[in-house]
Amino acid sequence: MIANQITASSADALLKSSRQTQAAREAKAARQGTLVERFGILLPCVVVAAFGVILVPNFLSASNIANILVNASLMAIIGFGMTLVIALRGFDLSVGSTMALTACVTAMMVGTAGLWLGMAAGIVVGAAVGLFNGLIIAYIKVPAFVATLGTMAIIRGVALLITGGGSILIGDPSFGAIALSRVFGIPSPVIIALVLLAVLYLVLERTPFGRHVCAVGGRPEAAIDSGIDVKQVTLKSFVIVGVCVGVAGVITASQLGFVDGTLGMGLELQIIAITVLGGTSLSGGSGNVVGTFIAAVLLATISSGLNLLNIPAFYQYLSVGFLLLFALSLDSLRVRSQRRALLWA
Amino acid sequence: MIENSHPALQAKAITRIYPGVTALNGVDMTLYPGHVTALVGENGAGKSTLIRIIGGLESPNSGSLSIGGEQVSFSSAHDSQTAGISVVSQEFRLVPQLSVAENIFLGHEITVGGIINRRQSRKRARDLFEELGLDLDPDRRVGSLTVGDQQLVEITRALSREFTVLIMDEPSAALNGAELDRLLDLVRRLRDRGKAILYVSHRLDEVFAVSDAVTVFRDGERVAHLDTAHTSEPELVELMLGRVLEERMPQTGITNTHFDAMPLLEADDLACVHVSDPINLAIRPGEILGLAGLVGSGRSEVMRTLFGVLPARGGRVRVEGKEIRLDSPAKAIGAGMFMLSEDRKSDGILPHLSVLENLLISEKRREGTGRQSWVPVPKYEEGTYARLRGELRIRAESGLQLIGNLSGGNQQKVLFGRAVLSGCRVLLLNEPTRGVDVGAKVEIYQLIEKLAASGVAVLVSSSEAPELVTLARRCLVLYAGRITAELEGNEVTEANIVAACVAQSAKAVA
Repeated sequence: MIANQITASSADALLKSSRQTQAAREAKAARQGTLVERFGILLPCVVVAAFGVILVPNFLSASNIANILVNASLMAIIGFGMTLVIALRGFDLSVGSTMALTACVTAMMVGTAGLWLGMAAGIVVGAAVGLFNGLIIAYIKVPAFVATLGTMAIIRGVALLITGGGSILIGDPSFGAIALSRVFGIPSPVIIALVLLAVLYLVLERTPFGRHVCAVGGRPEAAIDSGIDVKQVTLKSFVIVGVCVGVAGVITASQLGFVDGTLGMGLELQIIAITVLGGTSLSGGSGNVVGTFIAAVLLATISSGLNLLNIPAFYQYLSVGFLLLFALSLDSLRVRSQRRALLWA
Repeated sequence: MIENSHPALQAKAITRIYPGVTALNGVDMTLYPGHVTALVGENGAGKSTLIRIIGGLESPNSGSLSIGGEQVSFSSAHDSQTAGISVVSQEFRLVPQLSVAENIFLGHEITVGGIINRRQSRKRARDLFEELGLDLDPDRRVGSLTVGDQQLVEITRALSREFTVLIMDEPSAALNGAELDRLLDLVRRLRDRGKAILYVSHRLDEVFAVSDAVTVFRDGERVAHLDTAHTSEPELVELMLGRVLEERMPQTGITNTHFDAMPLLEADDLACVHVSDPINLAIRPGEILGLAGLVGSGRSEVMRTLFGVLPARGGRVRVEGKEIRLDSPAKAIGAGMFMLSEDRKSDGILPHLSVLENLLISEKRREGTGRQSWVPVPKYEEGTYARLRGELRIRAESGLQLIGNLSGGNQQKVLFGRAVLSGCRVLLLNEPTRGVDVGAKVEIYQLIEKLAASGVAVLVSSSEAPELVTLARRCLVLYAGRITAELEGNEVTEANIVAACVAQSAKAVA
């Protein structure tokens, strides 16, 4: 009896002290983790910006910066949706094709059905593709990677079919004016991206749905046990990424003035690169939309720098590839450094 | 007395059949408000299946479920929760990436206009912790909590919902003494508030401490329903096993150990993570060395360092006199070691493979002759399985059955078989009987002794003092990363081990 009492009280004390050391360890691990996270994304940013300023004339000119921001916004808008599905431990390879399809549909509809209906059609088509992906993934239980690999090809085919392989010229000049318009001197695509950033940040961090996305991505069994409808959450997430792609497609169409079915080839890699580089782990359970936006700016800066330096576009493939590898290495490094800090602290 | 009140939950003639296994065969279960019913039974008796059915995670093949007199049928956990059932599940169903508060309110978040109210969530979580007498930070990430704390979060989560029926599936498995007392106290308070509680546990002392009635399951059937006041531990054990438990005499002889033989495993000044003292130990052929200590004492770190899972910060390890570089389990196995992990589910079994495949996965093929040293030969493999099944007393329908469908005890026996086939001379065991029922426990002890008798050096790390007393003639005790006692022969008693595990800590804290 007495022995038991000793056990209870001293075990309690021991537990408390071990809890404290554990808490200290965790704090240190978290510090190191966020250090790698922030440092990782800032390092190439700073290097590229420095090179840009030194080597490229007019790099910091207002028009170039606006150009970079608009390009970054287009990627970021899709990236926000990608962040959501990656937090869900999903994946979407079909974003490039879907952007082409939505841009083409918008271009065709703007000419025939009018400005607003045309833009709405683009976004609806994006949502429909997302719904299709979501249904296959949530209900037929095809892994997201494979399912979207399939739709990537299908949607590309559809985009090429409806355009007949040629390009569509948008006649309506008021449509083209949308992408070029400015609000308080800020290009409207950037405004749209920032609004979407705010909305999706709120959705992901502060709504039950966002927490459910992280729960499903972090530990699906826990989500099921908590009464979360995993299928619904998956479906909604893919519809959201579809809508994001739709918005980006409409803006792209407006920006370019003419579109074709080959638009956005290889875009999915860039989007995944900025999402992971932005600090969203491929292992799911958390998403960082702000990071995605910063990484999009970084990638756009690199492209712009290479363009202004007259470096052939082929090198941009290299830069995206290396950035993707860099981002993925950073991701696993982050996990490892956290684990190590937990061990040795 | 109970018969007067209306049942809060009534399950009638529930049957659930899995491919090849009848998990539940027409069982009844009735829970009354203000009443704690304990459910006991060996692993594989069907307890977990019943809980999953009540929790809405599975549907019965036949039978009916009614809540407060109304018949219900659940198609998801959400349905069950809406009906007023809250489940503390045995496995941790928490999301490591989310915070403590987010996990507690997962699925029923506190929102204002669709946005989560963090301040209110934090406050509600703190209130719940206060009520339970817990000291946890609602903002900590769950993944960073200790197993015990995670269990407490799991319990808090179940209590955060509105419920009339509370199902607790082994809520005490990862708790220490003080936490357990608080848990039992909490169960009594909830009972007094009129909640109907189903308490599932392996530990019979808890059953007697907290329950009003006990239901016993065996092989998917309800074999008894008794008033707790009118039964006894031996009676329950007999009902659970369907036979009288063979008494286990502690070993008396030390005849197995070859004292003059060269130690099979030696560690010199091994510096392990989270362990401040360098570890020195030597185990001779046939010897079983015990390693005792509370959770967090560095016990599992020592074991995992010896097996090359964790990096050593210094020191040497010799197996059969030869020094080995410990940087991976593969090297440790190559040198003749084998370890059974404490987390059988995630680090032990390969759940999607059959019993046979699980058994043979670490086998040394090089020692076979002819074809079987290159490719699997079914005839030979089945022969091996048949031989080991008899020796290890594995109860499986066939070698092709998935290991995930076996009970904990049988899974552990298969893993022992894996160790035997790896041809190891040094066996490291972590909590060898965790989650194993009473009957299989005895068989596993006999197995360990048989292995030792055949000349294997065994290191047993366990949080159960009686287990170490039964098995080991020599026992090291760790406290907070230090070896605080080395007990030998007659000194290896439960009292001495427990004292060494905590007496030191009392001093250190004071």
